[in-house]
Amino acid sequence: MKMKSVRIFALKQDRKRLLEHLQDSALVHVKHTNEAEQGFLRTDTSAQIKQFERNIGITEQALKILAQIVPEKKGLLASFKGRPEIDPDEIGIIASNSPKIISVCNKIIKLDKQRADYAAEQVRIKTALAQLEPWKKLDIPLNSKDTASTAVLIGTLPRLYDNTSLSEALAAESSDLVFEFEILYASASMTCIVLYAPKYQRTLAEQSLRTLGFSQPINPTSRTPQVKSERLLKKSEEIKVKSEEAKDKIESYAEYREAIARTQDYFLLRSEKYRVISELDQSRHVFVLNGYIPEEDCEKLKKICDSVSSCVLEIEDADEDAPIKLKNNAFAEPAQSIVTMYSTPSKNDIDPTPVLAFFFYFFFGMMFSDAGYGLLMILATTIAIHALKPDKKMRSNLRLFQYCGVSTVFWGLVFGSIFGDAPAVISNLITGGNMTMADLLPWPILDTQKDALMIMIMSIAFGLVHILVGMGCKFFVCLKQKRYAEAFFDTGLWMLLLVGFAVLAAGMAVSQTLVYAGGGIAIACAVGLVLTQGRGKKGIVGKFIGGLASLYDITSYVSDLLSYSRLLALGLTTGVMAQVFNMLATLFGTSVFGIILMVLVFVVGHAITIGLNALGSYVHTMRLQYVEMFSKFYEGGGKPFEPFALHSKSFKVKNSNED
Amino acid sequence: MTGIILAILGIATATVLAGIGSAKGVGSAAQSAMGVLSEDSSMFGKMLVLTLLPGTQGLYGFIVGFLILINAGVLGGGALPTVGQGLAYLCGALAIGFGGMFSGFAQGKAAVSGILMCAKDEKNFSKAMVSITLVEIYALLAFIVSLLIVISVPGFAG
Repeated sequence: MKMKSVRIFALKQDRKRLLEHLQDSALVHVKHTNEAEQGFLRTDTSAQIKQFERNIGITEQALKILAQIVPEKKGLLASFKGRPEIDPDEIGIIASNSPKIISVCNKIIKLDKQRADYAAEQVRIKTALAQLEPWKKLDIPLNSKDTASTAVLIGTLPRLYDNTSLSEALAAESSDLVFEFEILYASASMTCIVLYAPKYQRTLAEQSLRTLGFSQPINPTSRTPQVKSERLLKKSEEIKVKSEEAKDKIESYAEYREAIARTQDYFLLRSEKYRVISELDQSRHVFVLNGYIPEEDCEKLKKICDSVSSCVLEIEDADEDAPIKLKNNAFAEPAQSIVTMYSTPSKNDIDPTPVLAFFFYFFFGMMFSDAGYGLLMILATTIAIHALKPDKKMRSNLRLFQYCGVSTVFWGLVFGSIFGDAPAVISNLITGGNMTMADLLPWPILDTQKDALMIMIMSIAFGLVHILVGMGCKFFVCLKQKRYAEAFFDTGLWMLLLVGFAVLAAGMAVSQTLVYAGGGIAIACAVGLVLTQGRGKKGIVGKFIGGLASLYDITSYVSDLLSYSRLLALGLTTGVMAQVFNMLATLFGTSVFGIILMVLVFVVGHAITIGLNALGSYVHTMRLQYVEMFSKFYEGGGKPFEPFALHSKSFKVKNSNED
Repeated sequence: MTGIILAILGIATATVLAGIGSAKGVGSAAQSAMGVLSEDSSMFGKMLVLTLLPGTQGLYGFIVGFLILINAGVLGGGALPTVGQGLAYLCGALAIGFGGMFSGFAQGKAAVSGILMCAKDEKNFSKAMVSITLVEIYALLAFIVSLLIVISVPGFAG
């Protein structure tokens, strides 16, 4: 679409009103420049934007917590549904409620943090309990001190002992030591003991024990292990209750989910607006907005500006950096997303969407090629578009598959495939006959298995047309830019050469004259290529060698053409898979049980076939466009047109142009 | 009987070898995809597409196997293939068997890289997808060769 660059001059007092109108109408793409023009200043809005973004972050976090604790019940089709529309006036209400909602969000976040703390505390308690476990038999506190005459030593030894082996070990260490001990817990890697000895022998006892690897407990407490663990358990219970309370509280905030999402949108809108404000060139009383606008929208913009009294518009032809907005008719529009997924066209490109759209539908249909599946696609997408009222982007995606469905039905009928060979299989089951789809359908069909060679030739012929169209686009682009040598020599000659080969190949099947004609064209073009392709090189020899070498490119054209054999391969895959499941379905006979099984296998089998092959068809169609066709002419790398608009997530403002 | 056994060997070769290729390819792609999903589960759709791309080889092998199954009369009915015909089916199956297996391995590796690329920036999705399908052409060529052999084995051509 043709772009104009626009400058809007207005009084500062009208700034708010004008910007609001511009944001509502989504007409203008604001030009991003780093510095103001001379004599103007920029307003630094980064502080406000930061504030908005912090609020967006808070709402985001709160929504995430809510989603975790109170999962939203969403239907299977929810992702197709359009956003609810709201009245522009409602934004004001959302704005005035926003402080309250933000404080709710903060509460939610705080509660969630408490829950995290509680959870951490629980883990700590659990560890402490596990540490106390071996000491449970001990009926004095872990940090018990010596009595008047007896030394008390509590701790662990790093291996397994029983009463005898420990006595022996201690006696072996020091024969003088008088001791008494209790083993509280023993396992292969640890023995917990309490040892009593006369106080005057404390040092001796310690020494003996140390050589056995004795160590004291890490967290000695002043209560008996039993009491301590009871206390810990009680605390754990308390925390559990508190954590539940916090969870309940968060749950009680679930009703705010909608409001939080809306508040988030409000801040998104605000931050977009303030970003634009920071791009405005301002003097004391006047501000200037630089932007781009599609030519056809200029009148609308004028009307808006007239409604804001003190405003001057300056519309000129757009410069080199202008963004690109694609506009296509209803047939091609759904394929726009396929083009932009690759890259937005650059200023030098022509919009490839119409060409791409036709071939996309055509090739997808040929690969998916089943009338039954096609009908299902059409039905599902039509119902989704009408019942769910999806947003613009989703709607255009659904339309893409709707059109692909039409083409799939067409090719399904050509290949005689309706849920594979289901009609034939079912009629055979009832009548006991031995019909095939070819017998059943009143028109002549192309059987993907029997006529595979024929379909392969067709596929490559379609490929040739596809590639020639791509090269034709290149030819056209070069002519438009007056790069005649490139147009006629680099593109035109190759196109003619390919046509020559095609005529030659057709001639082999039809008549000798065509062989001569095609061969003649091909040779003439090859000579032409040798003569012209080396024109960038120096010297006669260099030019000749360059020209000769360029003929080597024929290999890339051949491999491109062969690549189209996937049209046959995927078409066949769909047909055969469907056929396999039909065969499996009829294995169970005609009893009631058999019929139930048949329906089950039929439904599941075809669902699998649809899933796998629709994916395959989509991916390979895309590849044919991107690799085989786009490589012939398409540059891409343009900047997409992104107007200043109401870009909200959870609602759509009524009558706004945003998509 | 030798003829039919050779044909059955062909069915097994096509299905199993190509299946190995796809299983390994999809397996390694799925591993990386799950790694990505553990960080960001919203990418499931894209990851699914990239993971499934090396899965077609197995399908091609299966289809060649199935066509031999039908054409050679393994399912009963009709004349049994001669030794020469059985050998022809087996040879036809070798193309997709080996072509599918090795292209499955290679495509799996490409899919792993594509998944990692897509994880860094979702905008890379279409580029990753197209790059991964570049490998597929070789499986396709093998498939078509197998197919043409199988449907035109002398004496059984449709």
